[in-house]
Amino acid sequence: MNSRLKKFLLVALAAALLSGVAQVQNRMNRDREALGLTRVQPLENAPPVLAFTTVALGGFRGLISNLLWMRATELQDEDKFFEIVQLADWITKLEPHYTQVWSFEAWNMGWNISVKFKSYADRWRWLRRAIELLRDEALRYNPDDILLYRELAWIFQDKMGKNTDDASLYYKRQWAEEMQQIFQKKTPDFDELIHPRTDAAEARARLLREKFKLDPAFMKEVDERYGPLEWRLPEAHAIYWAALGTQIAKDNPTRVNQNDLITLRRVIYQSMLLSFQRGRLELSPLGFEFGPNLDIIPNVNDAYEQNFAEDDIYKGDIQKAHRNFLRQAVYFLYANDRLAEAAKWFRYLGEKYPDKRILDDDPNSLPGNLTLDQYAVTRVQEDVLDTSRDRMKAAIEGLLSNSYRSLIQDEDERAAGYKNLARKVYESYKSHTPQGRAEAMGLEPFEVIDKSVLNRLLDPDRGIPPEIRALLRTKLRLPAEPAPGKSEAAPAPAGTAK
Amino acid sequence: MQRLLAIAGLTWKAAFRFRLFVVIAVLLLGSVVGLPLLIKDDGTARGCTQILLTYTLSVITVLLGLSTLWLSCGLLARDIEECQIQVVAVKPVARWQIWLGKWLGIMALNAVMLALSGASVYGLLLWRAARLPAEEQKTLRREVLVARGSLKPPTFEREIEAETDRLLEERLKQGASGAVNLREVRREIREQVKARDQLVPPSAIRQWEIHLGLLKSSLRDQPLHLRIKFNAADKSPSGTFIGLWQVGAPRQTQLWRSQPMSLAPDTFHEFEIPPNLFDENGVLTISFANVNNTSLLFPLEDGIEVLYREGGFGLNFARGVGIIFCWMALLAALGLTAASFLSFPVAAFFSLGVLTVALSSGTLANVVSDRTIMGFNAETGVAGHSIADTVIVPAFSGILYVIHLATQTATIPEWFAKLLPAGVRESLSGALPSPARPFSPVDALSTGRSIAWTHLGLAFVQIVLLLGGIIGLIGTSIFNRRELATAQGTQ
Repeated sequence: MNSRLKKFLLVALAAALLSGVAQVQNRMNRDREALGLTRVQPLENAPPVLAFTTVALGGFRGLISNLLWMRATELQDEDKFFEIVQLADWITKLEPHYTQVWSFEAWNMGWNISVKFKSYADRWRWLRRAIELLRDEALRYNPDDILLYRELAWIFQDKMGKNTDDASLYYKRQWAEEMQQIFQKKTPDFDELIHPRTDAAEARARLLREKFKLDPAFMKEVDERYGPLEWRLPEAHAIYWAALGTQIAKDNPTRVNQNDLITLRRVIYQSMLLSFQRGRLELSPLGFEFGPNLDIIPNVNDAYEQNFAEDDIYKGDIQKAHRNFLRQAVYFLYANDRLAEAAKWFRYLGEKYPDKRILDDDPNSLPGNLTLDQYAVTRVQEDVLDTSRDRMKAAIEGLLSNSYRSLIQDEDERAAGYKNLARKVYESYKSHTPQGRAEAMGLEPFEVIDKSVLNRLLDPDRGIPPEIRALLRTKLRLPAEPAPGKSEAAPAPAGTAK
Repeated sequence: MQRLLAIAGLTWKAAFRFRLFVVIAVLLLGSVVGLPLLIKDDGTARGCTQILLTYTLSVITVLLGLSTLWLSCGLLARDIEECQIQVVAVKPVARWQIWLGKWLGIMALNAVMLALSGASVYGLLLWRAARLPAEEQKTLRREVLVARGSLKPPTFEREIEAETDRLLEERLKQGASGAVNLREVRREIREQVKARDQLVPPSAIRQWEIHLGLLKSSLRDQPLHLRIKFNAADKSPSGTFIGLWQVGAPRQTQLWRSQPMSLAPDTFHEFEIPPNLFDENGVLTISFANVNNTSLLFPLEDGIEVLYREGGFGLNFARGVGIIFCWMALLAALGLTAASFLSFPVAAFFSLGVLTVALSSGTLANVVSDRTIMGFNAETGVAGHSIADTVIVPAFSGILYVIHLATQTATIPEWFAKLLPAGVRESLSGALPSPARPFSPVDALSTGRSIAWTHLGLAFVQIVLLLGGIIGLIGTSIFNRRELATAQGTQ
């Protein structure tokens, strides 16, 4: 046979075999996954360089990864962080299916490295890097790994949501500003994001999908099931990622560790509790203000009940947390003058936990022994010594709201009393705030909180009815409400309530 | 000199003949241009510059180091193996001149390569810096693209040693058991004495004084940077502690007070302080108020440091490249010496082996500090023991000392210091920095720290003259005695 023809035939044969093996490989990969023959999944969505590296290096990947890990540890010990991003990138790319590597690197950046910087902007940069590592890369290569969803949700819930880090308010502000680009209205219009009709809506939907990797349809589902949520706050995102994780767990029941699922559900109800405590975001000239979101109380209650029904191991702990939530809910509702709802939940608390005391310092305070009024007043007294910023803010707002409502009812003395009490609670909290932690734990000036409460009451869309608004304006000697469409400068409280 | 230059010229020709010059030049320039495209940084201009400096200079050092070893081994060994050396050796040129000429040729080649790649890195950094927003450029020129000197408060070493000895003596007099490990007890006492100068208890204020000395006039109107680090006795839920700083002396100078700072322990923090806060004697007073519920400890060695602008980045960068050049000189001497008595592959293997031992100095240091090769169990506090320790520990100690001569400023070994007359000992101690400072140009440049001329001078004396000289002497003496016309393995 002609040698040139022979070469051509051999090349053609090689090409045919290669194409055939590619088909077999795809079927084998599917079988491997279906039959659970290997824990290592074929790498999908990887760029060519990564796909090549993981195949070409084979078992040596682990060795190189170890060496890089040692260098990263050494550099971190020497406070040299500028190389960590690169090393973390290489380490995770060498072991793209090793969940613990991704979660460790993200945790290290978000918790360990971020606090090493005194500048809050630097800390935020590292925290964002941790989010991006999990959301944009780890989940890209491991979309079915629910532990990664839990880690991502935990960053939103614990690192950004809680107030332990001195920069936590800065994180919330930065996140809210990023989210503000998408959710320009207080109540997000999910339908507009799912089916954008304008260029602006299209741009926002793209930003949501491509940058933040959020699916507006699933967001709508989450909001309906657990909300209404404030999507500019981190708790809503903790709930979103945890809910997505549970959804994926449902789709892959054989590959889910039940303990991981429990931790995911825990993230949901704990974040819902946070959303209830300070899930309302208000924009003021001084920046962002947080307040309780009382509208989600029924959903938070459902989440707790669902979780202790599904979690036999920690049922007792969840019930304890549920009882604490109900006590808070009653108190917050009462303090915000939603007396009918407060009474409803107070009754529910009594029915659900009739033999558990509801005041910490009083062993006889069983629900049957106290009236709603007695319970609420004693809680205010307890709160004066409390150090939780969110509970304190809710208490002060509630007292101020009661003050204005008393004013409307011509009970000027009572109004002055509420306001006086609010100021005392504020001063007491301020004096208990540790020196140097004012930014993380401190409250806005009293006058700002007062103005915010009054603005909400006088809000033509969401405030009290028009005739009562007019009455309140008269009592406070404020000018009459402008006609619809005309703007008005924020009113300043005056008169007896001042 | 003419003979040396002629041999150096031949070395250059050989390097071009091997196409080594072109290959290394392309690799070096490729890495300088290509690395910035591949590297991920932390998103700050400072971080980007630091990682660029670190990676490009490290790659240059590694590439040039390996090529220097290969070239130095290859040039001499292959000349001998291929009998070309016989043609040169019969000319009126001494053997040591052949050896030194080759070394000079390799170093001239290295000088050109380093100049080329160094200039590329420098140009790249400046080009990237110029494209940044003005504010970031300012930060960069203040913290990275600068040569910063540093001043620290006195460490009271002598007083601490004296106090430690006094307390140890007191305890021994009180009847401490003779069975205790005296060295360990002394170390413990020393730490306790040191702690008095380091600790800031809760609600307490500690003050440090830094004497600027002759620098006070040059530092007038210049902002300074305070670099601090502390350890905490306890953990805090937030992972940070609140720091309140005051710089300046009340009623004597202007005062600067910081806002409460959220500071993590065990890490360095740097912040700018306004100019002219020192008094007329050049004393800068720094105070720290501990408002936390736990004690904080500022280590005497690096707890407090004031950084000031000593010079520009360009010259500092050149000095840093100068230290890399010194290392190349040592590697060239090592390779030529190995090739003086070994064939090319064995010489290359031998040189790489020596380099590997030098790079694993951490293991040697552990053996020397534990005084055993059997390891130290940190949990039980018991060190192992082997009969081989009596030979290996002193040998490792010696090897480590030699390695340290190439990596940090020299210290005088205790045993040697005792042999010297008091005057010589004191003048030597005065000339050498204490504690030893590492020759680490990449670290210094990436953190904007100054590499002083004296530091570069010491590197030259220790690495090139002392170590390179000794290795060179050994190499030339072996080469001088070698029979060049015997049958070679490759013939």
